[in-house]
Amino acid sequence: MKFTWKWLLDHLETDKNLSEILETLPKLGLEVASVVNLAEDLKSFISVEIIDVKKHPNADKLNVCKVFDGENTFNVVCGAPNVKLGMKSVFANIGTFIPGLNLKLKKGKIRGEESFGMLCSEKELTLSEDHNGIIELESSSELGLSISDVMDLNDPIIEIEITPNRGDCLGVRGIARDLAAAGMGNLKDLDIIFDDGEFDSIINWQVNFDEDEKYLCPKVFGRSFTNLKNDESPLWLKNRLIAVDQRPISSIVDITNYIMIDIGRPLHAYDIDKIKGTILKISKSKKGDKFSALNGSTYELDDNMLVISDAESVDDLAGIMGGERTGVTENTTRMFLEAAIFDPVSIANTGRKLNLNSDARYRFERGLDYNSPETVMYYAAAMVKKICGGKFSKIVNFKLEQKDRIIKFDPNIIYQLSGVKIKNELSKSILEKLGFKIDSVENFWDITLPSWRPDIDGIADIVEEIIRINGYDKIPSIKLSRSNYIAKPAMSIKHRQAFFASRTLASRGYNEVITFSFLNKAMADQFNGGRSALNLVNPISSELTDMRPSIIPNLLLAVQKNLNIGAQDFSFFEIGPIFKGDSPDEQISTITGIRYGDRFKKDWQKEAVKFDFYDIKLDVIRVLNTIGAPKNSLKIFDEAPGYFHPGRSAVFKIGQNIIANFGEIHPEIGDSFGLNKSAISFEIFYENIPLPKRNKISKPMLKISNLQPVTREFAFLINEEIESEKVCEVAKSADKDLITDVMILDVYKGEKIPHNMKSIAIKVTIQPIQETLTDSALEELSANLINTIDKKLSGSLREI
Amino acid sequence: MVSELKEDLQNLLNNITISIHNSKSLSELENIRVNSLGKKGSITLYLRNLKDYDIETKKEIGAYLNDIKSQINKLILDKKNFFKKEHLKEKLNSEKIDISLTPHEVDIGTLHPLSRTIEELCAIFADMGFSIVDGPDIESDYYNFTALNIPEEHPARQEHDTFYLQPDINGQRKVLRTHTSPVQIRTMEKIDLKNFEEIRYIIPGRTYRSDHDATHSPMFHQCEGLVLGKNINMGHLKGCLIEFCRTYFNEDNLPVRFRPSYFPFTEPSAEVDIGCKKEKDGSLVIGEGEDWLEILGSGMVHPRVLEGVGIDPSKYQGFAFGMGLERLTMLKYGIPDLRPFYDSDLRWLKHYGFIPVDNPSLHSGLNGVFS
Repeated sequence: MKFTWKWLLDHLETDKNLSEILETLPKLGLEVASVVNLAEDLKSFISVEIIDVKKHPNADKLNVCKVFDGENTFNVVCGAPNVKLGMKSVFANIGTFIPGLNLKLKKGKIRGEESFGMLCSEKELTLSEDHNGIIELESSSELGLSISDVMDLNDPIIEIEITPNRGDCLGVRGIARDLAAAGMGNLKDLDIIFDDGEFDSIINWQVNFDEDEKYLCPKVFGRSFTNLKNDESPLWLKNRLIAVDQRPISSIVDITNYIMIDIGRPLHAYDIDKIKGTILKISKSKKGDKFSALNGSTYELDDNMLVISDAESVDDLAGIMGGERTGVTENTTRMFLEAAIFDPVSIANTGRKLNLNSDARYRFERGLDYNSPETVMYYAAAMVKKICGGKFSKIVNFKLEQKDRIIKFDPNIIYQLSGVKIKNELSKSILEKLGFKIDSVENFWDITLPSWRPDIDGIADIVEEIIRINGYDKIPSIKLSRSNYIAKPAMSIKHRQAFFASRTLASRGYNEVITFSFLNKAMADQFNGGRSALNLVNPISSELTDMRPSIIPNLLLAVQKNLNIGAQDFSFFEIGPIFKGDSPDEQISTITGIRYGDRFKKDWQKEAVKFDFYDIKLDVIRVLNTIGAPKNSLKIFDEAPGYFHPGRSAVFKIGQNIIANFGEIHPEIGDSFGLNKSAISFEIFYENIPLPKRNKISKPMLKISNLQPVTREFAFLINEEIESEKVCEVAKSADKDLITDVMILDVYKGEKIPHNMKSIAIKVTIQPIQETLTDSALEELSANLINTIDKKLSGSLREI
Repeated sequence: MVSELKEDLQNLLNNITISIHNSKSLSELENIRVNSLGKKGSITLYLRNLKDYDIETKKEIGAYLNDIKSQINKLILDKKNFFKKEHLKEKLNSEKIDISLTPHEVDIGTLHPLSRTIEELCAIFADMGFSIVDGPDIESDYYNFTALNIPEEHPARQEHDTFYLQPDINGQRKVLRTHTSPVQIRTMEKIDLKNFEEIRYIIPGRTYRSDHDATHSPMFHQCEGLVLGKNINMGHLKGCLIEFCRTYFNEDNLPVRFRPSYFPFTEPSAEVDIGCKKEKDGSLVIGEGEDWLEILGSGMVHPRVLEGVGIDPSKYQGFAFGMGLERLTMLKYGIPDLRPFYDSDLRWLKHYGFIPVDNPSLHSGLNGVFS
C-alpha cells in the first residue's frame, strides 16, 4: 500500500514530522517497506520554454531546438514528436543524472549537431511509463524552476506492508485512524457534502438471490451522473495516482482509483450509454458465460461466480473487474457509479479460479467497511462534480440490514493474555479512538465493533488492538520459570542417533550435505520410487517433480557436480527423510553416504588406494556401533536393492528389519550420472534399530582377566562358496568361553589351492580365565577347533 | 713390604684406569676386565697370592685389593654405560627422518552450517526447558492450513505458494508443509488434558514453497516453537525470545523489538526484529546501529486453534513462534547467498562447515571456535 505524506495529512491533523510518523507505523503493525521522495531525484530538472525549433539537417526525425530557462538559452537536439515552438517542458542540463535512463548526461553531438542537454519524457523522470513525447507543462508555468516545484512533486511516497487482516488500512484514511489512536494527531472528519441529487437514477439495481444466498451481495449502491466532461485529470490528481503506481487514464477512472486508495473503497463506473436497458442485475454466472474485462482479456466463466449484467450479457465480474463493453472512455458523458459489498470468499474463489488479480479484488477479499457504500456515494459525487462537472441523480440501492457486531469483553483478560497492566480508562480510550463503542455492564464491556473492522471477531483480537496501540514495548519481558522437575534431554533417542552418526561420519572424512527432498521422475523410478501419490502437481521444474525414494540419487548428483568443478575424491552424507508413501509413517529418516575416488592418493609414502566396498562396510559398522545397534544381532545378506552392484553390495538386518544397504552403486546407474569410477554408497534406516532395553543408568559389571591371552594361527581349505566370515563364527563356537576373538588374516585362491576351494588363514585369541592354560589344554582346544571347522564347514586344516 | 706392595698395586690400578679410559669398544673393555679381574687377571693373581703373606699383611692388602677391584668394576660399568649411550646416540642419528613431509590422507569432514544452527537452537531452548519434536513433511490440508485457522479462501493462503501432491481417489490432495506450524497441531492433539501442566517444544524441520530465486528456495528450513500452559502470557513470549536472540547472536545488549503483525494462528501476533547496522557494501552488522532486521514471527496461540484441538482457551494459553533457519545461519556466520546451502559444493562445505568435534553447547560455546 502506497500513499504520500500530503495525502496522509488530508486525513490526519498532526504536528508530528515525517520521521516521527515513520517510526510509529511499524509499532502499530504497519511495516514501512520504503520511503521515496521523487523531488530529491528531480531537483536538477528545470522548466524551460522552447523558443526555436528547426529540422535537423541530417536526420528526418530529429529537431534542433533552442530552450530558454529565463536567463540562458541552450541548444538541444530533440527527437520527440510533440515538440513545438512556445511549448513549456522539462529540461535536464549536462551533468544531470537521468533516473529513467540510469545515466549521467554528457555533452553530445548528434549527427553533427551539438546538444547541451535533454528535453525529458515522463518515463525519463520515472513519473510514468509514458515515453510518447516530452512532458508538456502548463503554459502558465514559471521558467527556470525546479520541476518538483512546478509539477508539485515534493511529496514523499511511503509504502507500507499491510497484513491480510488489515483491509481497513488499504486506504489512507485507515492508516490515519491508527496513527491518531496512537497519539500521532487527530483524525479529520471526512469532507462530505450530503447532496441527495436532483433526478431519479437512469440505471437501477436488480438483486435476485435466494434467501440462503443473500449473503453473497448484502449491499449495493449506485447513482447516475450526466453532462460530464471526462478529460484528463488535474495535475494534483494525476501526481497522486502516479505516486502510488496508478496510471492516470481519464478523470472518471482516476477518481474511482483515487477514492479506492483514499478510503480503501473500490468503485466501478459504467458508461450509461453503453448499458443495454436500464437495469443492472447482480447474479451468479452460468458455466460458459463469457466476459471481456477491462484488462483486454476474455474470460470464460464457471458456475456460481458473482457477475453483473445488463439486458445484453454479463459485463462485470463483481468486485474484481469491470467489463470492456460498458466501461467509460474519454467520450463518456453519462456515468453510473457502483459501490457494493460482496462476499469475500466468493470473490477470492472466483479470482483464484480465473487467476485474475486486481486492486479491487485485493480489497474485497480482505473485507470492506460495511457502511462504505452509503458514504462513498456522497463523497464521490462531490468529487466528480468538481472535476467533471455535470449533475448527479438520487441514490439507488439494495441492502440487507446488518446488526451491530458486539463482543462481551472482560477487561481482566488484557493482563491475563498480554502480561501488561493497562488502566481501564486508557484501554477504553484506545478502543474508542479506533472506532469501537463501549457500554460497561457491571464488570464486562459490551464492545460494538466498527463497520470497517470485519477482521475483529474475538476477545484476543480486542486485546491485540489495545496492546498494539499502547505499544508492544510496554509488555514486560518475563523469564520462563524452570519447571520443578529435573531437566530432561531435549533430544529424543532418534535425534541423538542422528547427532552421533553425523559426528562419526564427519570424523571419517564425510562432508555433510543438505539436498532437496524432491528429484526428477527418472531418478525416482531408478530408485524404486515414482509413485503417483508422491508426484507434485505443481513442481518448480521438471527436475524436481517427485518426492525422493532414496537420498543416494541426490548424493550421486553431488558427486557429478563436484567432478564438474574439478574435485576428485570426496565423501558426502546426508541425514534426512525419504518417502515411501504420503502418510506420516511412510516418511523414513535415513543416514545416507557416498564415497567416490581414492581413499589414499599415490604419494611419496604409498600407492593409491580406491574407496571400495569394505571401506563403506566399515563406515556402516562404525556408525551402527555409535548409534546403539546391537552388534551381535546384525546379520549380513547379499540382498541389496537393484541400484547396487549385485556382486559388491550387502544388507545388514536385525531379524526381518533392514538396517542398512551398502556397496558399489550399479555401474549402469553410475553411467547415467556420467561417473567413470564406481561410487560406493550406504543407506542406514536407523528407525529400524531396536531401542536399547537397558533401563538402568549404571553399566553392567566389567569382568576382566589378568592372565596373558594366547594366540594361535590356522589355515583352512574350504569351499569357495562359503562366506569367509562364517569361519570366524564357527571357530568361535569351538569354545565360547575361552576364544575371545577370531580374525581373518588372509583369503587366498589360486595356485596350490584346489578348484572351487579357498584358503582362509585365521588368528584365534584365547583368553584364559582362571589359570594359565597348559600346552595340553591348548592342544585340546586347537584340535576341537579344527574338528568343529571340519564338521560344520567341511574345512580341512592346511599346512602352511 | 706392605708399602711396596701397595705401590705396585697403585701403579697397576693407574694403568688399568688409563686403559679403561682409552678403550674404544665394548670388546676392548671386556679384554681389560678379563686381564685384570678374570681368572688369570692381574688383580686376581694378587688375590690368589695373598695366602703367602702374614696375617697382618693379608688383612691389609686384602682390603686394599677388594677396594681396587670394586673401583675397577665401577670404572668398567661407567664406561659400558658410556658406550651404550654413544651407541644409542649414533642409532638415533642414523634414524633421522624428513619431518617436512606430510602424508596424504582424506581430510576430516564437516557438518553443514544448517545442522549447526539447529543444534545451537536446541542447546539454547533446551536450557529453557524445551524438547525437540518432529512432524511429517507431507501434510494434509487440515494440519497445514485449516487447523491453523487458515480456511480455504483465506488471503494468507495465497502467500504460501503451496506445493500439492497428486490427488487421491477421493480428490484429496496432500501438500508439502509450507511451514513447521502444523506440528503445533499434532503435538497439541496428543496432550492428555487430565495430567496436563505445561509443554515446551521446538520443531526444526524442512519446509517447502514453490518459489525459486536468489532469496527463495523451494525447500528451506524453519524452527517452530510452542509453549502452552496455564499462566503463559505475552510477557513470557517476550522474555523467551529476547533470551534466544541474545544468546544465539552472542550479544548481551542486542536490541530486540516486538512489532504487531498478523498470523492467522496467533492473536495477538508479533514480529521480532533485532538491531543491526547496514554497511555501505550491503553487509549487516548485528547488534549496533539504527536499522532493524526481522528474524522471526510469534504470537499467542489463537483461541480458535486451541478450541480446534479440544483445549479450552479460557483455561490454557500459550505462545508460538517460527523462524527461518537459513536466514539465521546466514546472519550469524556471514554467509552471503542462500542457494549454495543445497548445492553440495565441496569448497563451500569445507569453508562454511563445522568440524565434527565442536559440539555446540552452552558450556563449550555456541559460536564455532575453531571452524
